[in-house]
Amino acid sequence: MSGGREQVLAAIRRSLGRGALGADARAALDARRGATDSEPLLPKLPKGTSAQVFRDGLEKVSGTMSELTALDEVPGAVAGYLAGHGLALEAAVAPSLETLDWAGAGITPSVGPTRGGDFAGVSHAWRGVAESGSLVLLSGPDNPTSLNFLPDHHLVVLRAQDLVPHLEQAWAALREQGEEGWPRTVNVITGPSRTADIELTIQLGAHGPRSLHVLLVD
Amino acid sequence: MEPLSHAFKERSVWALQDETLQVALNRAKDGFAVKRAKAVGALPEFESLRDRAVDIKNHTLENLDHYLERYADAVERSGGKVHWASSAEDARRIVVEICQASGARMITKGKSMVGEEVGVNGALEEAGFEVVETDLGEYIIQLAHEPPSHIIVPAVHKTRGQIADLFHQNHQKYGLTRKLAEVPEMVNEARQVLRDKYLAADVGITGANFLIAESGTSVIVTNEGNGDLTCSLPKVHIVTAGIEKVVPTAEDASTLLRLLGRSATGQDMTTYTTFTTGPKRSGDTDGPEEYHVVLIDNGRTTMLGDQFREMLRCIRCGACMNHCPVYGAIGGHAYGWVYPGPMGSVLTPLAVGLKEAGNLPNACTLNGHCAEVCPVRIPLPDLLRTLRHREYQLRLGLKPMRWGLAAWVWFTTHPRIYRMGTRVQARMLALLAGRKGRFRRMPLAGSWFRGGRDLPAPQGETFMAVWQRRQRGKG
Repeated sequence: MSGGREQVLAAIRRSLGRGALGADARAALDARRGATDSEPLLPKLPKGTSAQVFRDGLEKVSGTMSELTALDEVPGAVAGYLAGHGLALEAAVAPSLETLDWAGAGITPSVGPTRGGDFAGVSHAWRGVAESGSLVLLSGPDNPTSLNFLPDHHLVVLRAQDLVPHLEQAWAALREQGEEGWPRTVNVITGPSRTADIELTIQLGAHGPRSLHVLLVD
Repeated sequence: MEPLSHAFKERSVWALQDETLQVALNRAKDGFAVKRAKAVGALPEFESLRDRAVDIKNHTLENLDHYLERYADAVERSGGKVHWASSAEDARRIVVEICQASGARMITKGKSMVGEEVGVNGALEEAGFEVVETDLGEYIIQLAHEPPSHIIVPAVHKTRGQIADLFHQNHQKYGLTRKLAEVPEMVNEARQVLRDKYLAADVGITGANFLIAESGTSVIVTNEGNGDLTCSLPKVHIVTAGIEKVVPTAEDASTLLRLLGRSATGQDMTTYTTFTTGPKRSGDTDGPEEYHVVLIDNGRTTMLGDQFREMLRCIRCGACMNHCPVYGAIGGHAYGWVYPGPMGSVLTPLAVGLKEAGNLPNACTLNGHCAEVCPVRIPLPDLLRTLRHREYQLRLGLKPMRWGLAAWVWFTTHPRIYRMGTRVQARMLALLAGRKGRFRRMPLAGSWFRGGRDLPAPQGETFMAVWQRRQRGKG
């Protein structure tokens, strides 16, 4: 396919009226902070703590949240959520959360990815974005992507210290992890799945989760 | 897809007379505009973000070769493979070959406008694959064997009754025999049918809203989560993307994302914004084993070199069509190809030729609303005017129109004769109309009067006569 590559690149250069850029020009482009070579333009956030602004954004898109004071409280909170929704005390759980005391809360966890048989999935977010109430989840052996999409109920553990004002701070943190920083999938999730494809009527739970619940751990 | 744009006029008439379509269009019209206005009004930085977005796109286009090379190298480093397609034919062949090489049978697809543009589905079906669209709107129009009528809401022209009929006809084979009436149960039934398809698919094909050069990442934006199930469950993930989708960094993509959701649906952020880089990593327990990106030119490099470069800034939000009175009246199918509305009226003639699609740039009132709402400030009315000019130069327009224009030019460049002519004409019409002051009928203008409209006759003096009198009065 290298013929295709050269053909397209040559057509671009013809249209730009120049040859290939020299090494210096390319190095200068690589040294820029993005296309505009200036600090990202970040919208000013409403007044309030990060947790408050995040909660407002999440609730605006029909997400829900409970605030916990320690990670140990997660299994109990999950059990409460499941019971409150009339669900059996079962959940597909991300390996990163395996060590929590699920049995103590009466939950039978299935650890690892799901193929769709689970009503609830529990995974952990790498960052939370206050601006939009979004969760940033990284794929990996300890946090399989299928948990984010196949279960009807998606529960996400987020540490308060991982809240950032804007998505841009998450990218900066990812870049610090170096070349290996980008996992296969970064999911930025803002509320439960929805569609408006039939008569523009909004309906939750199109293909992904019907509800999204965040467990914010201080 | 074979363009039908040459039949634009006939198709517009059908659309205007289609009562079901008119019901659907009226529902859509205000919904989008109001939601967008509300979301934009709540973000004081919106106008500055638009300026920033224009800079991002312009800079990337000026250095497109560099950023595409950086992007492709990064994809390869992450274990993916990049394919370059100069034409629609190349793109179709590459996608079919990847699917054949992987031994696939069933393919799921997320919504991809460039996929529609190059005709991926037709090529795959011809090669014997089962292809299932997973975006609910795309799924509905696939069942109806229709092209999309809107780039964001492809089945916006369908009513729930029509969709219920389609599901009733097509879901019997899955044992789902009850005829549905309500939106939630229809969404649920589609969810149930498509869930099995996701799990059975061998290949998932998605488009890309952005490609990030720095990391070799493709970005898709969906509300349903269909794109995610499509790209994470099958063992092969193919991304089809136009070469203009690349941006240097994730920060650049984030700026554009703030504009995309608000402009398209009035959402601050679309539900799922998904960044994929390469195939699954060692140790990953899910994700595809193969990751392919097909970078598609198909006329884009030509646009880069002529006066239509600005069109390559387009992020496919659909705001221009949501605010277009012509689109609002006739819907997307009348345009006869993949892209409707103002952006489609620019792209279609460039892709399929002015001879086929010359009517589209003329079907515009030049009210400028599309340019006002375009998040990347594409001067759509100017581009449409440029296409009209090009059509005139190529002598493609209808002969009576060309003669009419030539006569008009002659009159307007001879002001004395023009003024005398209009004065005489205004008096004549006023006399002919008599005391009623209006015409019920007039030769050669039959269609204008259809629907019970009268033409008011000119009254009093011409504008120039009044103007000159006032100027004298001032002096």
